[in-house]
Amino acid sequence: MLILSFESSCDETAVAVVEDGRRVLADEIFSQVALHEIYGGVVPEIAARSHLEVISLLADRALEKAGVTRRDIDAVACTYAPGLIGAVLVGVNFAKSAALALGVPLIPVHHVRGHIAANYLAYPELEPPFVCLAISGGNTMLVDVRGYTDMSILGQTRDDAAGECFDKSARVLGLGYPGGKPIDDLSKRGDDRAYDLPRPTVNGGSPYDMSFSGLKTAVVNLAHHAEQTGEPLDKPGLAASLCRAVSEMLVGRTMDAAARLGYENIAVAGGVAANSRIRADFEAACQKAGKTLFVPPLRLCGDNAAMIGAQGYYEYLAGHTAGSDLNAYATMEL
Amino acid sequence: MLTLALESSAKAASAAVFEDERMLAFAIQNAGLTHSRTLLPMAEGLMRQLDRPLSALDRVAVSRGPGSFTGLRIGLAEAKGLCWALDIPAVGVSTLEAMAWGGPVLDGQMLCCCMDARRDQVYNALFTVEGGKPVRLTPDRAISVPELENELVARQEPWILLGDGAELCYNAMDRSLVTLFTAPEPLRVQNARGVGLAAMGKDAVPAGELLPVYLRLSQAERERLARMEKESIT
Repeated sequence: MLILSFESSCDETAVAVVEDGRRVLADEIFSQVALHEIYGGVVPEIAARSHLEVISLLADRALEKAGVTRRDIDAVACTYAPGLIGAVLVGVNFAKSAALALGVPLIPVHHVRGHIAANYLAYPELEPPFVCLAISGGNTMLVDVRGYTDMSILGQTRDDAAGECFDKSARVLGLGYPGGKPIDDLSKRGDDRAYDLPRPTVNGGSPYDMSFSGLKTAVVNLAHHAEQTGEPLDKPGLAASLCRAVSEMLVGRTMDAAARLGYENIAVAGGVAANSRIRADFEAACQKAGKTLFVPPLRLCGDNAAMIGAQGYYEYLAGHTAGSDLNAYATMEL
Repeated sequence: MLTLALESSAKAASAAVFEDERMLAFAIQNAGLTHSRTLLPMAEGLMRQLDRPLSALDRVAVSRGPGSFTGLRIGLAEAKGLCWALDIPAVGVSTLEAMAWGGPVLDGQMLCCCMDARRDQVYNALFTVEGGKPVRLTPDRAISVPELENELVARQEPWILLGDGAELCYNAMDRSLVTLFTAPEPLRVQNARGVGLAAMGKDAVPAGELLPVYLRLSQAERERLARMEKESIT
């Protein structure tokens, strides 16, 4: 089954062609990073404008790369939530019109479910159940993936996403936007014990819930204090200490959850999964605990449409399709 | 030639199907529901009632602005999705021109089309009517109400005000200097019938190349430019 899939929830416009949820025939991405860089973050209106400008062209290119025609497409999938509403709307409205005109089913896909499914593309042998930590600029959640479309949130951030913590920290350190990669690069030259950063815990709710705003504020305060007093700031040390703190908050909870559920497999997904400290810590922890770790390659960690096509296949098998009245949503339960 | 016309630039959304210049079917939704939920089902329903498959369409005409940024993008994304799948071209129509075509097109009338653009401006274009068709007198622009008032006064004609900015202009302008009428309610705001009519004489373009005309930068861009301007002065 060939699925044409669309992703436009933030600052990446993406169109892919995926076969049977596992084989990527085309994976076209137009990144808007350069458009948003000068603003130090994603500007929703600029993101939405840009999606509309490139989406037809990307769809053409996806078919061309896949070596298929419109008639070969069996279904259309799209991210319908969560995301920047103006941005998601472009993908949803293009996708549902295309599905209607092609006379094929329309499959709405939750963006975070898509990130989790990126693992199916990278690892043909991976099947549920497993625990997945989905970490990006907009989401941080620990998910019990019981089945391809049967999942529940074990815990999540109460405030900022892990990626947001990196972005804001990068901004005060003068590293530009997006912050994940420059922080990661800088941390490799630093001592991860240079600064004693907090690992905030949260009261009530799930033991797997997290909070990153206190950690972010601690970094911001350190940077401002250094600026005001003229004391030197060990930027590489701060970046390394930050990566260590974030990683410890994430890895510990994920390992605990896997142990409690008795799952063999642990997966990581989303843009922050590209962080090398988090990857290394997960590898070490999984080796120690005798668990198998799945982390998609960098290209599949960031936003892309192939992951939407992968999850779309399983949503279709579960009968999750929509009509021409499908709407886009800024927030949505997993 | 079978044309599907889509309009979603303001509060109401509407769809129409034209066989050449004859409107075969029309649907409108003005209940404040999001266009993302209502516009495509209307188009789908019209074609089903006409017993024509979507593949019978030769082109899609759509409002390309000015108007609500999100509303425009919903209409344009749907037009682009349909055209992409059907491999047919699209016609982008000025929202203000569509408004004029849907208005009281009696020869000699002067039409002032205005949408409330907030920030003390209206999106506006002026038309006269010749041979039952609107003839454009100005380009589409974002203009302050006093500026527009000066232009209307200078042309020394009675004007019919159209659009969701009609009342705003009517109340704000000095009617001892210029004679103003607001168009009757059913003819006042843009809809897909006007889009289809305005598209008649126009060439279709590849839908992928069709771009909205917002007539206004995003807030972030405006603020950045203002900051840069301020810095260059000081």
